[in-house]
Amino acid sequence: MTGPRPAPTAGTTTTTRATGTTPAPATTYATTTTYATTTTHATTTTDTGMTTNTGTTTARPTSARNPGTAAAGLSSLALVKLEIRRTLRNRKFLFFSVLFPALLFLITAGGENDGATVPDSGLSVPAYLMVSMASFGALTAVLMGNSERIARERESGWVRQLRLTSLPGRGYVLAKTASAAVISLPSILVVLAAGGLLKGVRLDAWQWLALTGAIWAGSLCFAALGVAVGYLANGDTARPLAMILYFTLSVLGGLWMPATTFPHWLQTLGAWLPTHAYAGLGRAIELGGAPHAKDVVLLVAYFALFAAGAAWLYRKDTLKA
Amino acid sequence: MVHMTTTVTTPADADAVRFDAVTKSYGDVRAVDGLSLTLRPGETVALLGPNGAGKSTTLDLLLGLKRPDSGTVGVFGTGPREAIAAGRVGAMLQSGGLMDEVSVRELVRLACALHPRPYRVHDVLAHAGITQLADRRVDKLSGGQEQRVRFALATAGANDIIVLDEPTTGMDVSARQAFWATMREQADQGRAVLFATHYLEEADAIADRVLVLHRGRLLADGTAAEIKARAGARKVSFDLDELRAGDGGAAAGLRRLPFVTALDVSGHTVRLQSADADATVHALYGLGLYPRNLEVADLGLEQAFVAITAAEEAKAA
Ligand SMILES: Nc1ncnc2c1ncn2[C@@H]1O[C@H](COP(=O)(O)OP(=O)(O)O)[C@@H](O)[C@H]1O
Ligand SMILES: [Mg+2]
Repeated sequence: MTGPRPAPTAGTTTTTRATGTTPAPATTYATTTTYATTTTHATTTTDTGMTTNTGTTTARPTSARNPGTAAAGLSSLALVKLEIRRTLRNRKFLFFSVLFPALLFLITAGGENDGATVPDSGLSVPAYLMVSMASFGALTAVLMGNSERIARERESGWVRQLRLTSLPGRGYVLAKTASAAVISLPSILVVLAAGGLLKGVRLDAWQWLALTGAIWAGSLCFAALGVAVGYLANGDTARPLAMILYFTLSVLGGLWMPATTFPHWLQTLGAWLPTHAYAGLGRAIELGGAPHAKDVVLLVAYFALFAAGAAWLYRKDTLKA
Repeated sequence: MVHMTTTVTTPADADAVRFDAVTKSYGDVRAVDGLSLTLRPGETVALLGPNGAGKSTTLDLLLGLKRPDSGTVGVFGTGPREAIAAGRVGAMLQSGGLMDEVSVRELVRLACALHPRPYRVHDVLAHAGITQLADRRVDKLSGGQEQRVRFALATAGANDIIVLDEPTTGMDVSARQAFWATMREQADQGRAVLFATHYLEEADAIADRVLVLHRGRLLADGTAAEIKARAGARKVSFDLDELRAGDGGAAAGLRRLPFVTALDVSGHTVRLQSADADATVHALYGLGLYPRNLEVADLGLEQAFVAITAAEEAKAA
């Protein structure tokens, strides 16, 4: 234990401390073996909590880790895992992104053998609404959680704190997007399960798989939008802004009800929204075909737009910070 | 013996930190104004200055959180971002938010996972004195506890320099002492420590070297003692019977004493500050006065600091 240094007295000009204990050779860090330490704890904790260590310490090497690009990816993974874990702990969020779309589906889809179909779609009401609500749930998961959280974490300084770690600059946004993508999966699966098990929706095995994959992949478009909103708004405005986008996109894009009841001009507008194309992916698969090229192109274009916007806002924010 | 023995290696030729004529403005405010400084590996350095002096901006520049308008910032021979990516810098910001909805242990585990040369989570927790808090949620901590979690994040791995922006703000006296005891352990392992503070006693007690920053410029650079000497001021106090006798000439004489920077007379007791106490006392006798209970003492760093900045402001005005 290096004892406390003598308190300097007035007029003393010499302060000595051994600083020459640093090993001289310049080691390249990429290959340095790390030493973790085991401490025989004879640690006294003051009542304020800081410890004054009186124990003996022995250093022993642990597995070497290198901070190259592979490790940078690994470290992002640690953040992704923690983001997912904490989201799964958030009951309110899980209710709105997983349970709520499923309940809405169960309530609105009617009896399983009503035989009702949705005009102009060629689909039964349960099949039609199953895609709508699975898409809606995924949209909720990727848009609502991230936008507000990113805005708040930028404001609180956590984003700055992360920039003081070895996490690569884009790691934060990538972790947010990746965790949102993982979280959106249960939203989709629960609605599909409700459709298949409780509402008598019958599809081929490949259709179930393709449906899950398409709705899941399509949600990336809105994940990018969520990140953009998180960088555009501040902690207080992020939620209202995300809400407005969320309702506009959901309703006008026809996720909640078929847009056929809207005035013509609104239907025309709605047809160009990403959510319309998004739901179109799943409906085409239910009808036994591949997604329409128009829907795919539209979604990819929106994704490019949102991702570019998010990247631009991110860069602006990083320079300003 | 130290808590965490590690291979802290430093290229012998590289300065830990190097600022060359660095300037950073916010609109009209020059927060950092042509700052040049060099920190050597292993030094414990205080960045001392009043609020608004530019301490946080200087540290943000060092950490690559801000970019200089002009000049260059180097950390261990590379740019700040590279040094941070290599895990050579640990930092505790003045207002570093934390991730919420996670436990203290999870957050420390993340910090360790992000560090290229991490310590064990268990040791980091113990070292920061937050073992008992490990399962608490981060958003349910008191200010002082949060500060310790930030410290844990800054020391999750083997850094070569630790940068702290007013780390003891909000801590009570004993917490502050315990904090610096922990910090000294870090320094004693050959790590450079740079901390911003406006607690002058802290700079005096902790640092090998004190950099006085005022209006973004380096006002003084030396040991705490040298800075006091540079201010040159000492305090002189004595009693004068002549004052009790109502001698107007004595009072007028006091005001003519050389090198006096501050004068306070209450009753027959005189307290003054002098840039050259020897000359002042000599002149006092020269007036034919007979001071009793004469005392000459050093100013504390606090007053020395006030004297330096006052002199600087007088020059600027
Ligand atoms: N983001 C900012 N925008 C505008 N002015 C700022 C900003 N940050 C700091 N300043 C100004 O720059 C000067 C230095 O601030 P700062 O570096 O925070 O000083 P310190 O940390 O020593 O208190 C102050 O005058 C402060 O008002
Ligand atoms: Mg500050």
